[in-house]
Amino acid sequence: MKKISLLPVLLAGVFGLSANAVAEIKLTYSDWQLAQEVWGKSLNDVIDQFEKENPDIKVAREPVQLAQRDVRFSTAIRAGGGPDVFALDANPVRQYIAEGWVRDLTPFIESSGGNDFLSDFYPISLQPVTVDGKVYGLPMNTVAMTLVYNKKLFQQAGIEAPASTWEQFREDMKKLTRSKSGSGPVDQWGLTLVLAPAGFDLRVTSIVRGFGADFLTEDGTRSAMDTPEAKAAFNYIVDLIQTDKSVPPGVTQVDANGARRLLANQTVAVKIGTTWSYPEVSAMNPALDGWNTLGMAPIPRSAGKDNQVRTTLFQKTIFVNQNSKHPEAAWKLARYLTDPAAMKRWFDDNNMLSARRSVNEGYEKISQSESARTVAAEIEHGAFLPQTPKWPQILDAFRQNLQAAVAGSKSREQALNDLNQQINTILQ
Amino acid sequence: MMSGKHRLAVYGCLLAMAVYNLWPFFWMLASSFKTDMEVTSFPATIFPQTFTTDAYSRVWSQEGMVHYFLNSLLVSGATALLSASVGVLCGYGFSRFKFRGRNLFMVLLLASQVIPGVLLVGPYFKMMSLVGLYDSLTGLILAQTTLTLPFSVWMIKGYIDEVPIELDQAAQIDGATSFQCLRYCVLPSILPGVVATTIFAFLLAWGDLLWALCLITDPAKQTMTLGITNLVGQFRVLWSDIMAATVIGCSIPAVAYVVLQRYLVQSSISSAVKG
Amino acid sequence: MVGSTQRAGYFYILPALLLMILILGFPSVASVLESFGVGTKGPIGLHAYAKLIRDAEFYKTLLNTAIFVVVVVSMHLVLGLGTALLLNQELRYRWLFRVLAILPWTMPDIIGGLIFRFMFDTLTGGINAVLGALGLASAVDWLGDPGLALGTVIAAEIWRGYPYVMLILLAGLQAIPQDQYEAAKLDGVNAWKTFWHITVPNLKPMIYLALVLDAIWECRLFGMIYGMTGGGPGVSTQNLSLMVYKQYFQFFDTAYAASVAVVLAAVLLVLAVPYVRLALRDEK
Repeated sequence: MKKISLLPVLLAGVFGLSANAVAEIKLTYSDWQLAQEVWGKSLNDVIDQFEKENPDIKVAREPVQLAQRDVRFSTAIRAGGGPDVFALDANPVRQYIAEGWVRDLTPFIESSGGNDFLSDFYPISLQPVTVDGKVYGLPMNTVAMTLVYNKKLFQQAGIEAPASTWEQFREDMKKLTRSKSGSGPVDQWGLTLVLAPAGFDLRVTSIVRGFGADFLTEDGTRSAMDTPEAKAAFNYIVDLIQTDKSVPPGVTQVDANGARRLLANQTVAVKIGTTWSYPEVSAMNPALDGWNTLGMAPIPRSAGKDNQVRTTLFQKTIFVNQNSKHPEAAWKLARYLTDPAAMKRWFDDNNMLSARRSVNEGYEKISQSESARTVAAEIEHGAFLPQTPKWPQILDAFRQNLQAAVAGSKSREQALNDLNQQINTILQ
Repeated sequence: MMSGKHRLAVYGCLLAMAVYNLWPFFWMLASSFKTDMEVTSFPATIFPQTFTTDAYSRVWSQEGMVHYFLNSLLVSGATALLSASVGVLCGYGFSRFKFRGRNLFMVLLLASQVIPGVLLVGPYFKMMSLVGLYDSLTGLILAQTTLTLPFSVWMIKGYIDEVPIELDQAAQIDGATSFQCLRYCVLPSILPGVVATTIFAFLLAWGDLLWALCLITDPAKQTMTLGITNLVGQFRVLWSDIMAATVIGCSIPAVAYVVLQRYLVQSSISSAVKG
Repeated sequence: MVGSTQRAGYFYILPALLLMILILGFPSVASVLESFGVGTKGPIGLHAYAKLIRDAEFYKTLLNTAIFVVVVVSMHLVLGLGTALLLNQELRYRWLFRVLAILPWTMPDIIGGLIFRFMFDTLTGGINAVLGALGLASAVDWLGDPGLALGTVIAAEIWRGYPYVMLILLAGLQAIPQDQYEAAKLDGVNAWKTFWHITVPNLKPMIYLALVLDAIWECRLFGMIYGMTGGGPGVSTQNLSLMVYKQYFQFFDTAYAASVAVVLAAVLLVLAVPYVRLALRDEK
């Protein structure tokens, strides 16, 4: 009898020991850029390096498409699961925070040096992820939207560089809208705009910012689209499309990819983009010789105005899932991906600026690149889109009314009135 | 046999039908053989100016499409078989038996389809994680079966209704159980209906995106539809690749249909029995 | 069959019922509760429905859905019945025509949406290329013009979905006893009368079935429209399914999304119940 009852205890001891010996933490990391060719390889290399330096942590990579990301994440996190560490762009951040889906990282930051740790990040990059003094995410890449233009096409039209005022810009666009052969129908247009949902948030809003307008008032309680600047921006965009026809037909269907294609095929001379436009557009059309043919310039302003903010910022941030069973390990991974060494890697591989001032200003490769310098300088002139959980609805209202005005189904005044009304209703 | 004029009219209409059905596929096929640049050029070209099979080789080798096709075949096939078998049982029950709550259950079955999948995915996901079927093809098969089963039951019930009940009664007099009735009398007569239902269930599962997206995160278990939508990336939309993958994706169900359609044959029941 | 043998019916339907209840039971109840605010961050009550009644976008979406379903389903019936009749004949290469007939339906609806968006693209799409080559029109904004977009989406879905109706009706045609036709031929009845007096009455239950199932299917349609226009421009192509998706996954407004879904469910039930009554009343 005694002998048999010892056995379970022995077994338990043996299992307990062996369980400890192979205790391996399994994390999952999900990112829409894992699904891309170049970025995917870059991310995988860095994470492989992380695994080497942390032999007790294994990271499973879960690519997901940008358009499907929130569908998958929200379903999983709502049900108590989801990836341990994941990346988001600036759009749904406040919603994720409001829903309680991302972990408060302040305790981890405190033990990593507190304010010293945070001081290297641009203050503005921490704004979207900080609520009530608590920091919820680590910024990874921050860039500002600028004009991306085809130097050759500009030269052909006799224009030296993109204008710095909207008035001059409009004239330039008209000049660039012509027939390539000189005598046929128009087959080249000045610029392309993005009116489809994918990519609308960054590009068209940059024009609004360029005019010195904004969507919401400072305190975020009322619509600010009734100011003269906002009206000017709105009418300007509709004019470019309807009156001047400097934009190719079918603009309502053009999304970010479509815009890149138009620039790559030299169907347009200008688009609004940022550092990623160079590698992407060049890859689309090697004959274009993008790295030499493309140039960058800041978003114009209205003549006589000197608004500090003139463009929109894009940011990719790393978050830790509230449901994560291994928050310590997850924090390690998040930190690794945003450390200066990784930041340099992101620039080397993908031409993406970092959210760390020391890297953007100190890394020689960044200072040597014209496009990187331009965009880095513009970060100071950029602002994020309104950081409110209701932002997606407001953006949708803006896009719909703009589309209606462009299509002519609403008059411009009507569209603007409706927009202001809708925004105020949403904010109630 | 048909008269000459009649024959001309029929083949003429069939030709029109063929052209109508084929033209998007023609465009897909043409685009899949164009270079990336040409596929998005303005003005658009109708026939490829530079003929290339790059899109196909990219799709076949790089993206892991082979796995996705196999996964889809597995999942859709299993869903179709499950739907058809459970559907035949259920349809027979509804058609041949009168029991309390029969009408209610039939309505409920159809009513289960009225809530959009968008809202059901979340709670279902939670259930699956509790049972340990998270990120599994089994969980996906079960989910897709709930999409296909109600329609399948109603369709099969409709076909069974067409089979005269006198057939069953005759068999019963000979001492057959209801199950034997089903197997030997009814089933052969509704074979076209079962084939149609199986094809329908297969295609439905084949085209599902939402459930596959939310329930499967392991890239190795992804289905073909998910794989194709993955070609629409943040930066690159490789239209020729999408076209190539879709051509491959559509040809598989088409081949399956070629095999199965020979069961869509004339019923041999005479109307004397039908009454 | 009377008495206890009728109860055998329960055993036959048990697997199906069990499957549905186990898998969909909890989620369905959870969704309906969500529309009343239960389980969400917001207040519990009829708030979502109150907002729904005042929402102009909702009414436009409802109208779009109605137009879409009515036009698409009726065209599906016309094309489906016509094709089924054609394929029911003795033909050479019948298998080939049958495969051609089902081809549109082999396109999964999301992919189909992407492909049609590509084809109807204003600058680079095939449709405009052909129209331009024929000199008929240039750069028509099929999907960006609010007046054209809904029609374009309807045309695409008519193409993609009619094989479903054809399939149901073809199998139904196969079940019609041949001797009825033979008798009619002997009596010298012409084709038109044969159609109306033999084919249609025999096919009626399947026609009703096809109509209702197709209507339910088209009411719920998501992928095709999402891929082509995403509901735009504005809300001119948005149907109820897309609205639920937008509210749930983009605006994170669970209760509102659930309330729209409940309305969609109610609409579908309204469609289905008359058919069910009709079908069940016709029982022998």
